Amino acid sequence: MLKTFKIQVGGQVQGVGFRPFVFNLAQKHQLKGTVSNNANGVLIYVNGTKEELMNFMEDILEKAPDAAIIQGHSMDEIEPREFENFSIVPSQKTAKVAIPLTADFAICNSCKKEIQDPSNRRYRYAFTTCTQCGPRYAITQKFPFERALTTMGQFTMCESCVIEYKNPKDSRFHSQTNSCIDCGIKMKLLANSGEPISVENEREILSTVARFLKEGAIVALKNTSGYLLCADATNPEVVKKLRERKQRPTKPFALLYPNMEKIREAFHVSNHEQRALESRVCPIVLLDAKQQTKGHLAEGVAPGLDRYGVMLPSSALLTLLAIETQTPLVATSGNIHGSPILSSEKEAREKLSTVADYFLNHNLEIVFPQDDSVMHFADKQRILLRRSRGLAPNLMGYTPKPSEKVLAMGAHLKSTLAFTPNGHTYLSPYFGNLDSYEVLQRYTDTLQRYTQLFEELPEVVLVDKHPAYQSTILGKELATNWKVTVVEVQHHKAHFAGVLAEHDLFEIKKPVLGVIWDGTGLGDDGMIWGGEFFVYQNHQIELKAHFEYFDTLAGDKMAKEPRLSLFSLVNSEAEVEDKFSKAEIKIYQKLKENSKLGTSSVGRLFDAVASLLDVLDVSTYEGEAALLLENLAWQYPGECIDLLEGKSFGNVPSKAIMERLIALKHKGESKAKLAASFIYTLARVVVKMAITFKISTIACSGGVFQNRLLVQTLMGMAEEDDISFLFHKEMSSNDENIALGQLAYYQNIKE
Amino acid sequence: LGHGSGGLLTNKLLDSGVFDLLSNPILDTRHDGAFLELEGKTAFSTDSFLVSPIFFPGGNIGELAVNGTVNDLAMCGAIPKYLSLSFIIEEGLKVLEFWEVLVAVKFACEKAGVHVVTGDTKVVEKGKGDKIFINTSGIGKVHSKANISASNIKKGDKIIISGQVATHGMAIMSVREGLEFDSEIQSDTTNLNHTIISLLDQFGESIHLLTDPTRGGVATVLKETAQSIDLGIDIFQKDIPIDDQVASACELLGLDPLYVANEGLFIAFVAEEVAEDFLSELREDGNGLHAKIIGTVTEQHPRQVILESAIGGKRVVSMLPGEQLPRIC
Ligand SMILES: [Fe+3]
Ligand SMILES: [Mg+2]
Ligand SMILES: [Zn+2]
Ligand SMILES: [Zn+2]
Repeated sequence: MLKTFKIQVGGQVQGVGFRPFVFNLAQKHQLKGTVSNNANGVLIYVNGTKEELMNFMEDILEKAPDAAIIQGHSMDEIEPREFENFSIVPSQKTAKVAIPLTADFAICNSCKKEIQDPSNRRYRYAFTTCTQCGPRYAITQKFPFERALTTMGQFTMCESCVIEYKNPKDSRFHSQTNSCIDCGIKMKLLANSGEPISVENEREILSTVARFLKEGAIVALKNTSGYLLCADATNPEVVKKLRERKQRPTKPFALLYPNMEKIREAFHVSNHEQRALESRVCPIVLLDAKQQTKGHLAEGVAPGLDRYGVMLPSSALLTLLAIETQTPLVATSGNIHGSPILSSEKEAREKLSTVADYFLNHNLEIVFPQDDSVMHFADKQRILLRRSRGLAPNLMGYTPKPSEKVLAMGAHLKSTLAFTPNGHTYLSPYFGNLDSYEVLQRYTDTLQRYTQLFEELPEVVLVDKHPAYQSTILGKELATNWKVTVVEVQHHKAHFAGVLAEHDLFEIKKPVLGVIWDGTGLGDDGMIWGGEFFVYQNHQIELKAHFEYFDTLAGDKMAKEPRLSLFSLVNSEAEVEDKFSKAEIKIYQKLKENSKLGTSSVGRLFDAVASLLDVLDVSTYEGEAALLLENLAWQYPGECIDLLEGKSFGNVPSKAIMERLIALKHKGESKAKLAASFIYTLARVVVKMAITFKISTIACSGGVFQNRLLVQTLMGMAEEDDISFLFHKEMSSNDENIALGQLAYYQNIKE
Repeated sequence: LGHGSGGLLTNKLLDSGVFDLLSNPILDTRHDGAFLELEGKTAFSTDSFLVSPIFFPGGNIGELAVNGTVNDLAMCGAIPKYLSLSFIIEEGLKVLEFWEVLVAVKFACEKAGVHVVTGDTKVVEKGKGDKIFINTSGIGKVHSKANISASNIKKGDKIIISGQVATHGMAIMSVREGLEFDSEIQSDTTNLNHTIISLLDQFGESIHLLTDPTRGGVATVLKETAQSIDLGIDIFQKDIPIDDQVASACELLGLDPLYVANEGLFIAFVAEEVAEDFLSELREDGNGLHAKIIGTVTEQHPRQVILESAIGGKRVVSMLPGEQLPRIC
């Protein structure tokens, strides 16, 4: 008797070649039926016996395409239906989407080979993709993931492409982004004036661009996730020019290398780092430069730093360009004045014409522009610095309470959005500083697109306690419009809940110590927090200790001028004399006397130490002082000093740390040793707190834990002291995780 | 100043010449209230003044209290006529200080051409006040050509500021916090009614809105306006007039001058066609030497105020929620 089964596979299964895979598998198993995408993932109807189906299912789970992430499946017998063969049928939208959005994939190796093979029909086609690679999230307009519902929909496949699309043996069988040079995306090269630059053959465009780059030009290039500004990284003049035009004095630029060999020649690369570089995410990875590399690269690429952000080409376009130029290229987000990465030709023209000498445009519309993701490694521990292309917008690691539609507005400076319309957590890529009108627009646009895509509005809106975050202001406004409740979540408790969520620790019996260190957040007591110790137990978070408060000075300016943190933390003006004018000293002394707003910020403590060690007095980008201080600390190979040795304390005595450092500085200890000892001391503080509170599970969050040396030192101590340290996994430890933290706090913590 | 808050002391105080100093026919009747002859559309406004310290470079709380209400009436397009004046005095205030405040009140009234027609004085125990609080209410006759209402604001309207921003706030801040700058920053407190009246004579209904950016500064006033009109506002940092000394004081203290309080300053939303004439007229006036067009009303980004910074880049301007708390993480 004929039996029919219905199989539903959930997770990231659309846009990853899942239907063609099921099709081929069904042929192998000689089964008849259909496969399609639906709102819950991939839907299969198939005839067969129970046993045949068990085998089939097993193969599906085991042999699924690499890019797929299966999150649950079901198989039910239904009313018998007869099928004549096995076929892929068009998707039908019958319900609201309830699966992860597929992230963008970097170009795969086989596509990379094809575009370099003169005999292949995709030779030098800059938008070559297959079922296993190419843009996904970036071009998604609607659901499910079908060509017509993406911006690829405007391109009609030529005959050759259709043949591939229909051929079960082809790697482009049912590839939704399939195209070739005859039918696909067209590039256009323009001079700064807007005049098109004619190129005889489309395949030669990138050689022309490469020539311009070698001649010292800056090119704004539209990649499949947004514009990049490119320049020859070995040419000091052009790098300097780029800095001036972009008004970005010192913040390091990322580098694009053509292949792994070239990267290995120039940098020390661990296995973990290599795996990350070559992954589908294709992120920027910070690597230690070999000695000769620093001489080879222009000094302006990463001023004062020994580590560089390095990446491989994420698209066919970048692959071809990198091969053509061979030299490392600066490849930095195409934006200016902290505005979001640009993706439309018109905007790029308007905003980048003062920066770029040439524009390389193309006619694929980008719906969700994204920066490159950035990460580095402390041994095997991955530390995300920016979560964006390739990682956003899914957060697989946290399953929200299924029926609750929550919108978390995130923080202010490194804003992100979290939304749970359907039992999945969607976590937007990083947007940036919401004071910028363009960033705020991108943020609100994305929010609107999400509510349209998932056809759901939130039932509760979560915001930070800080009343002046644009995300708080907007969240409250939206909640009023939607007539839903708004809940405020304290910043550092959100950080803590965020890291607890990533390790699924809310049901743990033992207490967890939360070490939450960052720059600034508004505390429950009205003070500016940033160096807190919490204990989580039984769905409650309790503040146990913090860094002793020191005076805030001059509002947000304090974060921009490390010397002000030093001023706040020293008792004698002698230490800061050479960093301020006499008049400034008088005024800041007064401000300090009158200051009623204290801070426990470890970020500011880093600033103060950086200033004390003459690393940096006034910064030009966020986190600069901490980065330079860490760079200095790595230069010291020896034994470190515990600056709080012999001191017992409840709250961490920030000023005692400074006093000891000052004394040692006067004794003539090397600055590198002092920098290293400072970081070592912070790690010891964590261990001491663990001992004080008799807690062996420690979860760390906050921007300070982007510091690789601190993380590495902690992990070293973990082994000695039998403590386990937990860090963020899919999220960055900085404020990008606040949206997740707000969500997790709201759903798991009792006040 | 004496103790207790009994009627005796208050009467004594009054008898000792408070109201002699402010003498005018209506006040002189010493009745429980004032009899006023009013006709036509009338504006009425009240404000309380608590400023610490009560004496600051460029003025004291007395003239602030008169100018504040006079200016609020002027912002309604009214010609201020009569004021009420109430003091709440903390026990222990020096008599000389009180007289100094009173004299400032008198001169400010004369300058603005208003009469104090009724008043009151109360003394509170030490610790229950802060030297002296003043409440003033004022009545004025609305100018025949005035039609001041946010609902008149249209796309394309120009936003004109009458002078340099942040001066008053920084003057107060410098004395309160004991900050010494190269040269003293003086409060710009002054009455604006004569200036406004002559502008109304000339531009009448083309003046859509007048508003004084006192507490919360220019940013707060513009944001409130944008929200009430459902239109957007674009302002340009390079056009915002500010004294160099004030600008560097703000920079030093990490304060955004757009959020710092002003006193002798007003913002006008005027029809695009008259903007240039309005500006040159205003600049002829002593109170408008530094006047500038700082922005435009737009249909883009309704309810939002966007500041284009001097180096390019657009910043979202919002209302000040209390003090300027640090936000950088
Ligand atoms: Fe934070
Ligand atoms: Mg007022
Ligand atoms: Zn591929
Ligand atoms: Zn084709």
